[in-house]
Amino acid sequence: MPYLTESFVAAVLVTIALVALVALRPSLVEARGGRVLAFLALCVLPLLMSAIGVSAQVEHSKSTAFCLSCHVMEPYGRSLHVDDSSYVPAQHFQNNRVPRGEACFTCHTHYTLFGDFKAKLRGLRHVYVNYLGTIPQKIELYEPYNNRECLHCHAGARSFEENDVHKEARAELAKNATSCLECHDTIHNVRGLAGVKMWKEGKP
Amino acid sequence: MTIANPKLTRRLQLSGLLVGLGLAVEALTMAWSHPTAFLAFLLVGGTLVALGVLLYLYAIVSA
Repeated sequence: MPYLTESFVAAVLVTIALVALVALRPSLVEARGGRVLAFLALCVLPLLMSAIGVSAQVEHSKSTAFCLSCHVMEPYGRSLHVDDSSYVPAQHFQNNRVPRGEACFTCHTHYTLFGDFKAKLRGLRHVYVNYLGTIPQKIELYEPYNNRECLHCHAGARSFEENDVHKEARAELAKNATSCLECHDTIHNVRGLAGVKMWKEGKP
Repeated sequence: MTIANPKLTRRLQLSGLLVGLGLAVEALTMAWSHPTAFLAFLLVGGTLVALGVLLYLYAIVSA
């Protein structure tokens, strides 16, 4: 359980204890101190807890488990375990080039000022579509994948900068004129996963 | 132990029940990383807490 979640649950338990105290002994509000306690327990703390809870839930929504909990995302989760380093997401996931617990979010957020916020808004839309909308047959990105997301980590890395092909195309890559995916073109490839060998963690 | 105004007592108790239930739902949803948990947090927990807080505020202004 992440730190924020643990703290939230502990704070909620304290708040519930205070709420129970006021609800079971309403005569407390006859005194000034009791009225303050009731105001804290029945108004301030519950609103504060709910606001912190929203923040914790939004943090949860970054997790790989959260993204893959929707049925339609299962093949994308499987693609992270393909035993073939030409699969870009699998290579990043299996070699800890992205945090495994937040693998989807790490590559699919936008590294801009409001990138995380926009990613979370899109996530809310996905929740809506999952329950009340029509899930599209083919899952596609909203816009072509931006090199900015790759360069957020790779720019400045020796393995990237000293590569001859990258050196030649460096300016175009930075301008997004040439997509990284033009060369690194095996991404999730979910339609071709049927006969592919899968990596089993801990087994050579 | 009750106070002179039985209506206020009942409303405080009901408010406490709603807020307590709402917070319990919110805490329980933290154990599950799933969109359903997110919706339960917002729609069930959030609604119960909001109703409890509103009832409390109504109880103190109408007392």
